[in-house]
Amino acid sequence: MDQPLNLKLSSLSLISQNKLQNILSQCGEKKDLIIDPSLIKALERICGVTWLRQHGVDKIYKMDPQLGPTANANRVYFIPACIIKYKCVLDQISSLISQNPSIADVNGFHIIIIPKVLNSFDSILESKGLYGVVKLHAFAWELMVLDDQLLSLELPFLFKQLFVDQNQSLLSGVAMSLWTLFHVTGRPKVMCSFGKFSAGVLDMLEIYNETYSRNFVDTNNSRDIGALLVIDRTQDYASSLLTPATYSGLLKEIFSINCGFLDLNVKDTKVMKGKLNFDSEQSNESKSTAMPLDSSIDSLYAEIKHRHFSEVLSVLSSKAKLLKNEDIKALGIQEMKHFVATKLQQVTLFKQNLVNHVLACETIISEMSNRFENLKLTETEMLNNRNKKTNYNFLDENFGTEIHIYNSLRLMCLLSLTQGLSYDEYNTLVNKYLLAFGYKYLYVFNNLINSGLLIQPSNIKLSLNISNLSNLSDKLPKWQNEFQTAAHKLKQLPSKPDDVGKSSPSYVFNGGYIPLVAIICNAILTSESLSEVLTKLSTLTDFKIGGVINEKLKDGVETLNEKLSNLKVSNDLEFGCKDPKILSKVVKSDPNFCNLFQLKPKTILVFVIGGVNYAEIAACEVVQTNTGSKIYIASDCVSNGSDLIAAHM
Amino acid sequence: MDDDDYWNTSDTKAKAFSFDDDVLSPQEILAIGQKTYPGQKEESIFSSSSISTVKVAQIPLMSLVTPKVLDLILLAQSGKDPAQEQSQESPETVAVTLKRLVLGRRCALHVHRTMKSKTELLDGAVAIGDGNAILTVVLFLIATLNKKLVYELLSSRLIALNHYISFLQNEGKITELTDLLTMLGRSPDAAMAHFQHAVKTQGNNVDGLLRKVTNILANHFNQPGVDAHQTKMVDAYVKLLEWQKLANLPELSNRSALQCLAYTCSRHWTEGAGAAMSPLTLGQRQQISPLQFDWVVLNVHAKSGKWDILESLFTKKDWLGRSTVSSHVPAQCLLRRLSELGASSRLMAACLAKLPSADERLALALNYKVHCVVIQTYAKQKDRLALTNYKMTLNPQSEEYILAENTLRDPSIKWKN
Repeated sequence: MDQPLNLKLSSLSLISQNKLQNILSQCGEKKDLIIDPSLIKALERICGVTWLRQHGVDKIYKMDPQLGPTANANRVYFIPACIIKYKCVLDQISSLISQNPSIADVNGFHIIIIPKVLNSFDSILESKGLYGVVKLHAFAWELMVLDDQLLSLELPFLFKQLFVDQNQSLLSGVAMSLWTLFHVTGRPKVMCSFGKFSAGVLDMLEIYNETYSRNFVDTNNSRDIGALLVIDRTQDYASSLLTPATYSGLLKEIFSINCGFLDLNVKDTKVMKGKLNFDSEQSNESKSTAMPLDSSIDSLYAEIKHRHFSEVLSVLSSKAKLLKNEDIKALGIQEMKHFVATKLQQVTLFKQNLVNHVLACETIISEMSNRFENLKLTETEMLNNRNKKTNYNFLDENFGTEIHIYNSLRLMCLLSLTQGLSYDEYNTLVNKYLLAFGYKYLYVFNNLINSGLLIQPSNIKLSLNISNLSNLSDKLPKWQNEFQTAAHKLKQLPSKPDDVGKSSPSYVFNGGYIPLVAIICNAILTSESLSEVLTKLSTLTDFKIGGVINEKLKDGVETLNEKLSNLKVSNDLEFGCKDPKILSKVVKSDPNFCNLFQLKPKTILVFVIGGVNYAEIAACEVVQTNTGSKIYIASDCVSNGSDLIAAHM
Repeated sequence: MDDDDYWNTSDTKAKAFSFDDDVLSPQEILAIGQKTYPGQKEESIFSSSSISTVKVAQIPLMSLVTPKVLDLILLAQSGKDPAQEQSQESPETVAVTLKRLVLGRRCALHVHRTMKSKTELLDGAVAIGDGNAILTVVLFLIATLNKKLVYELLSSRLIALNHYISFLQNEGKITELTDLLTMLGRSPDAAMAHFQHAVKTQGNNVDGLLRKVTNILANHFNQPGVDAHQTKMVDAYVKLLEWQKLANLPELSNRSALQCLAYTCSRHWTEGAGAAMSPLTLGQRQQISPLQFDWVVLNVHAKSGKWDILESLFTKKDWLGRSTVSSHVPAQCLLRRLSELGASSRLMAACLAKLPSADERLALALNYKVHCVVIQTYAKQKDRLALTNYKMTLNPQSEEYILAENTLRDPSIKWKN
């Protein structure tokens, strides 16, 4: 099975298709599919309408609480694992049954839930009296290739569940997708986790491995992927909060991008939508173009996606000049025929892409240009803990004037994480925000604090009165430079942001900051030995290491049963990965540890839990070029800072 | 359209194409991209339907994974037991149960009746980190243990507690959630949970919200430990809802203070302080900061074209008779917005006059094309060269062109160049 890795990855959709086929075959001969609109684009990547028809789907409807009777008695609902949407479907089924009780007996109701059926869904089904009437099916679709070396599970609700609600129910879905992937590619020799959720994913991956190992033993290490890195979004919020300077990053700031398709709506951008609207009339629906952000379809996008935005228009301009030289008037009849037969379609497509990209660029310029410079400057000052007062004033003015429902909070979070906010400053901003968008959003700030995007300053005057003095140390403001200390240790803050070259991943933030994921990839790819990796990443507290090393370190055959019976309260399981501290003894005796980090092949798969952003993807490409390696990026979705903020609403 | 015709149409010519320059302007690129070839349909350029069907290369499924592995993948997704394992009944230990939970298989929680095994189940689920397993165990404990005992277990296991809180919140079991949080001494969180529940379930129903929020303010936000500023915000919310109830306008239901202010500015501008619908009354009642107040006034009146109101509001005549701008909106920001809203150059000039630095004033005047300020500034700097160059960029016979010419001819200026 020695096919190129990218071909294997793009074929994963066949496994998804097979899984879906298996489910549909249990749902009766002829059925209606009722799909949640948020899942349509993703389903299109797995199968087309023709395929669905071949597998018994007669009519397709969008899920709508008001949906009445449909063409067929068999109904298959297709929804994400979201309790509100699930209940909505159950209510609809209940009301259909109350109108016509006989349909309860035909086994005609099925709900396909992405990516898994939670146990609480079962109990809800029972409590509504629908157990036995409605059948639930889990559909864990595989990673989808959105672009060259970019994979996504397309579960955009995962960040909210994991980090805002602190509900880890779908984490096993991530583990299962990796487990299936490794059946196709083989298991990487090295696995590392950064963060609690990532460690959990490696633990669960190991449980799947242990359970199903009897049926499938392939102990050979992967020839496709040298190392797997799993990273929690919490490990690097700054990369999400900062405004990107790359083309693809800015596209995401302005346009909505769903499942790799950009909605080129130049009249009603995300920036406009988020501002206070003083017009009473609603903007009318404008026609817009869907534009695939996929290098294999759009070679022009491949060339400009990771460029600093300042270069993009000149690239487009040079392409336009080439196009102009393709003057077909000079061609003879035969040449003309040849041109029409072979190149016309290609040229037409290219022109269309060119036009779309220029329109997108113009929109970016008109939306961002008047504040981009000041914004970037302020962000860089925040990162380096300089001019706190000026930065705060910039933010305060923004909250008082051109406040944006997501982006203003995003900047507030960045200031809070990098330089801190005093009790009064914090409350001034909260007050302005609530006046602008409504007091109903008061809870949003609590949610931001829960997910760690915002640090709540305590009211010192008040706490002195009510708490005893032994608690005082907790109440005092924290050492404000925590962020900078950590970032300096990992060399994330370039000393001269203005003259970083193309070889520094920091260009994605105008030279101000290197995303953590790029730092980690670089450390793993440039280290010769285990001990070197451990030294380079020693400041990361939630770093754990698994893979081959985990098996070598097992005391005998350590099964999950044994692990669990020796478990101490509030200890980590460490089933699929280990704390590197316990490795120090091993490292002393064998610094190379079986040549673990001479990765072969020099290919890394990075999975970011909670959404990866385009700036991080671009930064990793720089590391890839510098180290002569391949870095594949995967996540539950491609998001940006405003998506993160929106998840708190 | 013929190629040559295209380039000679007045529309394209007016933009002065020069393909010899290094970089084309966006308009120029668009012109090339939108140029049609003979026989090509016009409308196809902006429709995307033709391109999304590029076939992706794939390996056949059977050479991707073996049939046996594929069956395994399907089995794992379904959470069913493998066929050969169904017969052999292994004893249901804590570890077996937990593993079955993680794999999504059916399991018999009810066999775990001792406190010890219940505790082990909870700790094991938390250690594995599968939220589905954690919540299942917590709900099992709730069903089989005294609530007080469960709360004790949860209070030292934050992850498990958070799963239960998230469950109660999603299920809308707000009373149970409040009881739990209060028992754990987290009354500020209980207050906020109540608040969030109320605003998410009441929609924009002013009466319902007013009743609920007033109630929550009285019963939960006055608890010790609740942040004083949060209480103040909830109090302000009640005041706004009261005002909205009084106004009784569906379009203002549960809108923000600034949105209500915008409404009063456009409909009740002339009503003085004290009148219920006066912008001044609302501004005071909601303690809207002067900056936000000015910003709303600026946007509302500019968008409805009432520049006279804005000019009389924002400009003041000083004792020399010159008009200067007085607003809480910082000058740079004001200029940017005025320009976007299409303000007159007179108002722009008055706003520019407020800037202390001449260099900054010139740069902004150039940026926003406030010609009279540019001309005056050059005259003040006695910079004939710059002014002459600037004149060339202006439309001949326009007002500003004549002003520039007259200024250049002014004998009282001693030009430095």
